[in-house]
Amino acid sequence: MSSLSRIGAVVAKEFIHLVRDRRTLAVVLAMPVLQMLLFAYAISFDVKNVSTVIIDTDHTPASQAYVRSYQSSDFFTVVGTAGDLSAVDRVFDHNQARIAVVVPSGFGRTLADGGQATVAVYLDGSEPTAARVGQAFSTALNQVYGQRVTIEWADTQGLDVTGFGQLEPRVRTWYNPEKRSSDFLIPGLMVVIIMVVALQQTAVSLVREREQGTDEQLAISPMRRWEMMVGKVTPWTLLAFLDLAVITVVGIVFFHLPLRGSTLVLALGAALFVFCSLGLGLVISAVAPSLESANMLGLLLSMLPAFILSGFAFPLASIPVALQVVSCLFPARFMVTIARGVFLKGAGFGELWPELAALGGYAVIALGIAVVLYGRRRR
Amino acid sequence: MSLHRIRLLMWKEFLQLRRDPLLIRLLFLMPILQLILFGYVVAADVKNLPTAVVDLDRTSTSRALDASFGASDYFVVTQRPAETELQRLMDTGQISIAIVIPEGTQAALDRGETAPIGVIVDGSDSQVASVGSGYASQIIARFNADRMAAQGVSVAAPGIDARVRVMFNPTLASVNTMIPGLVAAIVMISIMAVMGQAVVKERERGTLEQMFVTPIKPVEYLIGKVTPYAIAAVVQLLVVALVGIFWFGVPFAGQISVVVVGLVLFMLTSIGLGLLISLVSHTRQQAQQLMMLLLLPSFVLSGFIFPIDSMPAAIQPLSWFIPLTWAIQILRGAFIKGSGFEALSTQFWVLALFAVVIFGAAIVATRRRLTE
Amino acid sequence: MSATSAPAIEAAGLSRRFGDVQAVDGVDLSIAKGAVFGLLGPDGAGKSTLIRMLATVLNPDAGEAVVQGFSVTRQPGKVTPLIGYMSQKFSLYPDLTVAENIDFFAKLRGVPKDVRHTRMHQLLQGMGLDEFVDRQAGRLSGGMKQKLFLASTLMHSPDVLLLDEPTTGVDPVSRREFWRILAGLHRQGTTVLVATPYMDEAERCTDVAFIDSGRIRHRGSPEQIKALVPGRLFEVRAADPRAALAALHTLAATHALRGLLAVHLYGDIVRVLIETDDAGSITSALEAAGIGADVQPSAVDMETAFAFLAELATTP
Repeated sequence: MSSLSRIGAVVAKEFIHLVRDRRTLAVVLAMPVLQMLLFAYAISFDVKNVSTVIIDTDHTPASQAYVRSYQSSDFFTVVGTAGDLSAVDRVFDHNQARIAVVVPSGFGRTLADGGQATVAVYLDGSEPTAARVGQAFSTALNQVYGQRVTIEWADTQGLDVTGFGQLEPRVRTWYNPEKRSSDFLIPGLMVVIIMVVALQQTAVSLVREREQGTDEQLAISPMRRWEMMVGKVTPWTLLAFLDLAVITVVGIVFFHLPLRGSTLVLALGAALFVFCSLGLGLVISAVAPSLESANMLGLLLSMLPAFILSGFAFPLASIPVALQVVSCLFPARFMVTIARGVFLKGAGFGELWPELAALGGYAVIALGIAVVLYGRRRR
Repeated sequence: MSLHRIRLLMWKEFLQLRRDPLLIRLLFLMPILQLILFGYVVAADVKNLPTAVVDLDRTSTSRALDASFGASDYFVVTQRPAETELQRLMDTGQISIAIVIPEGTQAALDRGETAPIGVIVDGSDSQVASVGSGYASQIIARFNADRMAAQGVSVAAPGIDARVRVMFNPTLASVNTMIPGLVAAIVMISIMAVMGQAVVKERERGTLEQMFVTPIKPVEYLIGKVTPYAIAAVVQLLVVALVGIFWFGVPFAGQISVVVVGLVLFMLTSIGLGLLISLVSHTRQQAQQLMMLLLLPSFVLSGFIFPIDSMPAAIQPLSWFIPLTWAIQILRGAFIKGSGFEALSTQFWVLALFAVVIFGAAIVATRRRLTE
Repeated sequence: MSATSAPAIEAAGLSRRFGDVQAVDGVDLSIAKGAVFGLLGPDGAGKSTLIRMLATVLNPDAGEAVVQGFSVTRQPGKVTPLIGYMSQKFSLYPDLTVAENIDFFAKLRGVPKDVRHTRMHQLLQGMGLDEFVDRQAGRLSGGMKQKLFLASTLMHSPDVLLLDEPTTGVDPVSRREFWRILAGLHRQGTTVLVATPYMDEAERCTDVAFIDSGRIRHRGSPEQIKALVPGRLFEVRAADPRAALAALHTLAATHALRGLLAVHLYGDIVRVLIETDDAGSITSALEAAGIGADVQPSAVDMETAFAFLAELATTP
């Protein structure tokens, strides 16, 4: 019973610290929501409206018809036209457009003569995402346009074009039919935000006790190390959980994030995940010799892995296996899978139990390591 | 201005730094870590997508199509399941893409009709969805062209011969844009993180007051305090740049002077921001929070990872207020496009403005605080 | 305090080094139950290190210590419930109030709820802190902080108190109050080990030990220590104390004044330790040197004893 009362004492104390530090409280409560609102609007990998410059040196009805196909396309946004080839360098150098389409003089004549008219499409490779999709779209546009030209010509020639059978891809997108990357990114974003906030707090917690000198008084009390750690983690778990709940609501209400799976699994996963992040913070706290290094280590281990190695924005299947293994060292990875599964794929306990188990194990291990390392450091 | 006093201050900072071995190790570990993370993960281009092929046609054509997917770098055909199993496979994440070749495809082609091919993508992963479907379409298009050529159908008809060329980054390797961005980002993180703490710590400890009563001038204090960290930041960015160029093969087509000037201006803004944070915060804890508040948006909104082009038009102007945005453009321009001062003039002017305003504000605030 | 009851604290050969500094060097100590034991010594002498080892906060490199019958190295868990420890640095939470701080540590110590409330108010009232219960500890003055610290360590009624310079930097009034409280504890039978640089506090201890460079140099009751000092102490008051001092040095050197053991300037007064009972010899010697002075005998106090014994240790 006294174990519980000791843990209770620590929990009460930590709450008092929290409430007395107005700035931190404001940051911890408000930041996640603000960040969620801002980033969810901003981050996207969707490429639309790529700025395009058209250089038409032919000025024939045929070339103008071709140019119009770009203008009427949703994907290309024609921002300007230019007179000659030298403009391409200038346009790209000054970041005025990402695509430059050059229609050579003689375009219309070649087509009328029944030949293959060359068109040059230049892509600014310094934006690979836009360039890659631009590549696909311009290839497709030209293919379609070319086919139409061929068929029109064949019609006028009275040729039978039905001999040219073609395969046509019909693309269906599951789980996210509008292919909004926001649906893909937002569940992960929630995880990132919470991890960063949570881990930072406990990362300094033990170091602060040491700097204040109170760790000695704690050491000579009957309190065990694990009791102290559980006590320290609990208030933040509750707070971070609250944060997560709020930004989930924000995600659903403002960004129309669907919630197709089991809310219970999401809540359980969230609670475990928060506990894990805090535990990781305690590990940092136990080994960092100073507040500066605790902060920096906290930054390093929260922001970067959460951002990059959790699968939040960058698919883990494409990275070297060694790094995939490393990603398992951070709880964010499992939580992102859970979040995405529940929100988008309608997953429940049956699909996500491995991740939940992983989080549970992680929490115990992290706390255990923190206890051991903290004991080793003193004296 | 006394060089002697400045040197003394730098020495003191250096001594204090030496007493915290973890911090030092972190300062040097950070660039390596970020290089690995950014070079291998963020820049990882989509490939080896686990793919399922459902061949309901079972003709030579369909098998050839199957093979062309397998031969591609982008797809790894891991399963050939029944159509009913696709849902489960995708639900559990075992496959990202499924190609369904319906029965009667070859027959339709022989009759000269268009035969549809089902391409199912995992929409919960938007990279896969957009890029994967694009690649699949390209493979099918090439299959069409090869088939036409094999059948001896000459394209003796008018058409469009589109030459699509990628300039500056022909392999479209994301690494080439990541690394220059990382060079700038690491300067910012490194300087702001440490600067933010530095002054606050002295204030907490009370050693700042001690300094007031010495003949030291505010400017000297600033220079002395900042220089060791600036040097550390330079070392870090050199590591990143060199590893990027020689290990990851990032091209450097531009002029070193462009990079140097850009980085110097950017460093001034970072130092200024770090100082301002330091002055506004009463405890190191608050400094840390404030720094995170500034750092995360910079990461997200500066075009470092998420393209600015992809942001909603209403939000894009936000990125203009982040110095990192402009620094990244300068660095990317210098590395990939070989841009010079003239091409990047806007960026330089804006960055210079930031440097003057932020750093100037920091100096004024510091002077006021030190003479209070 | 019978001679047959076991000592409250017993240390044998306690040693600890930090880097290449031997902070505590083979210390033997025996502190009787109920004693008020003063640990005196200059800065860096090893007082804090010694106390921390006894408090189980620091591990000794060598030697052993037994507190209330339990070993600090092998049974720290049995030692800690019986001790209260005040470190040199204020170690409570600055953003918690007086009441919250006390309550927290008392809860940790397992002090039952009803007892907590009454005892806290008792202690705080006795220290004059009762009206500050809701003030954050960081906002208290130095003296109040130390009293709060003491109160916090007393909540679980420890048998042994280990206090590391509890009154350093505290105003004289608060210091006196603090010692009044300690006297009360002494009457209740609590054993107190207190490290202090203040010699007047040493007078109030039942036993003292001098520690220097990690070693115990002298130990005993204040009377025993003072008795170690040979000769008689005289206080010389002159118009120009410095001239008197210089003259006395010369007189000693030329053997005009015999049996001079030590001469110190103490503020405006020159203190002379001399192997004679006769004040007159000093007066006349000074007069012969042209200095008019008033010489009075004085009792040897701890200050003198300390200074003299320290000097003795350094002179060949």
